[in-house]
Amino acid sequence: MEFFIQQLINGLAVGGIYALIALGYTMVYGVLKLINFAHGELFTLGAYLGFTLLVSWGLAGTVGVGPAILICMGLVMLLSALAGHVLERAAYRPLRKSGRLSAVVSALGASIFLQNAIMLIWGAKGLAYPADLLPRVMISIAGQPVPLIRVVVFVSSLLVMLGLYFLINRTRIGMAIRASAIDQGAAKLMGIDVRQVIAIVFMIGPALGGLAGVMFGICYGQITFTMGQIYGLKAFTAAIIGGIGNIPGAMLGGILLGVIEALGAAYISMSWKDAITFFALILILVIRPTGILPERVAEKL
Amino acid sequence: MKKLTLVALISSLLLTAPLAWAADQAPLKIGVMAPVTGQWASEGQDMVNIVKLLADEVNKNGGANGQQIAIEVADDGGDPKTAALAAQRLVSSGVTAVIGTYGSAVTEASQDIYADGEVLQIATGSTAIRLTEKKLPLFFRTCPRDDDQGRVLAKHVQAMKITKAALLHDNSSYAKGLAEEVKTILDGTGVQVVFYDAITPGDRDYTTTLTTIKTKAPDIIIFTGYYPEAGMLLRQKKEMAWEVPLIGGDATNNKSLVDIAGAEAANGYYFISPTGPSDLTDPMSQKFMAEYEKRFNTIPSSVWSVLAGDAFKVLVQAASQTEKPTAQNLAAYLHQNLKDFTGFTGPIAFDQKGDRVGDVYRLYRVNPAGTFVLVP
Repeated sequence: MEFFIQQLINGLAVGGIYALIALGYTMVYGVLKLINFAHGELFTLGAYLGFTLLVSWGLAGTVGVGPAILICMGLVMLLSALAGHVLERAAYRPLRKSGRLSAVVSALGASIFLQNAIMLIWGAKGLAYPADLLPRVMISIAGQPVPLIRVVVFVSSLLVMLGLYFLINRTRIGMAIRASAIDQGAAKLMGIDVRQVIAIVFMIGPALGGLAGVMFGICYGQITFTMGQIYGLKAFTAAIIGGIGNIPGAMLGGILLGVIEALGAAYISMSWKDAITFFALILILVIRPTGILPERVAEKL
Repeated sequence: MKKLTLVALISSLLLTAPLAWAADQAPLKIGVMAPVTGQWASEGQDMVNIVKLLADEVNKNGGANGQQIAIEVADDGGDPKTAALAAQRLVSSGVTAVIGTYGSAVTEASQDIYADGEVLQIATGSTAIRLTEKKLPLFFRTCPRDDDQGRVLAKHVQAMKITKAALLHDNSSYAKGLAEEVKTILDGTGVQVVFYDAITPGDRDYTTTLTTIKTKAPDIIIFTGYYPEAGMLLRQKKEMAWEVPLIGGDATNNKSLVDIAGAEAANGYYFISPTGPSDLTDPMSQKFMAEYEKRFNTIPSSVWSVLAGDAFKVLVQAASQTEKPTAQNLAAYLHQNLKDFTGFTGPIAFDQKGDRVGDVYRLYRVNPAGTFVLVP
């Protein structure tokens, strides 16, 4: 039982990271029906930008660790939003009228471009956030010692999800986003600047990716320019399991994926971990083709 | 033509040997086949530099058994096709022995050419097992074989006087091969392998793996993969406050390991690896490295080129101990009479296959400051 709880906690911690990245995926998909394959690279970019600010520029040394991390997260979100905006202007907007397939190819191209750009700027050799950046604090959950940073990551992804949910459902801009998601033409007729809405969505999504990157760096330390590929794929899977386009769904999908991975590796086979995970994905999609919490489609009727 | 050269060489030796007039003798020709260009150029250039420096020294001191040594360099470009041409060139230029080369596939392309040309070959960086399994009578190597590492790793684990070990690899052919080797050896001993499985390389979260291994309560974890994963394992093991020692293979011999794990978590990590040029401890090696640095402004970048120096040293030793330095005579000496010869990388001897006897691998430990220290 103790083993099960420990593995469950391990799974939840990984799931928190997946969820945080998946939120950005789902957000963009919800509005544009575009899978932003470059999202994984924006996550990597966030991790590298965080490294530069915190470690190379010595932010942690000048203002103290706590404030430094908060400032760093804010700045990285801002810079990632900017990168997302540039990406949208350069790679997606010119193709808006040319069908979804061109946009997907363009997204793949952007992903490869970003990955190589990161490699050329920061080098092909991986970097590592210092291990003693934060004091090693352990807290006890259900009798199991858990590093505090893992809990912080999990809680942050929960908060981000709630914030996003509130933004979409309770604010004017959220209403505009929802309207554009349902019918761009009708939204335009209602006086909504759809272009601006899309631009905003393309800043929120990458900002979340960047945030996930910094948290990932602080939590795990080692960052490489290729990590966006595998984490992007896992988060994309999480978004699909949860029902792509649905914000609580991304959270649920991420956590579920993390837990399936951990328990699959613990009880079935460690070497087959990824195979088990993706088999579960297929199973879920066979039973519920739209994911666990599908995007609400009733409004379209 | 080649036979003629050999006959000429032997007869000239026969004629001049009794006189023992060094200056009158034809020099002993030794070829160096090395990747002077191409992807491994730095290795190849180091190889050539070391051999030439050593040859100068030997010649200055009167040569081997009074005979001067002439070095002939051929570039294999790190490529099997180029190597075949280089080997033919060296054979027809009448070398008695060849030192080289680095890559296993490159060496393999040249093996038959030297065998047919009756030239003795000492490979320096080619660790593939199959090279010496062909039982070529004139082929040797100063580097260890791929299966040596498993043997040495298992030996050190046994020496720690423990009973339960967990074995972890990453499914790459290198890591899996090494893990299987270690498992086979440990299975016959008092050390019980209580856990054997693989992690997914590239992952960052190994807490699930560590939690599972912890339930088996091993006395040590043996990880045969690469440094990025080893670093993460150390870091997360520390986060779990689990004090079990971790030991790894030579793929974790990289300074980045300490950055990834953090010095505190890396402290006490063991790994085995051939000694690097900067870790050679005996005075003879240190003196040579100092001389090398004086001449080339840097020390060799890896141990593989130093092994070319060892190849040269054993050749000179064999030449000075045999009456007629033909390839066959030198090979016979190396097979039978060379025992505990002092090379840069430790004692050297060869078995009947031409493999080096004795351990090139050493045990390293990470100290609290995060530096790799040789465990004596």
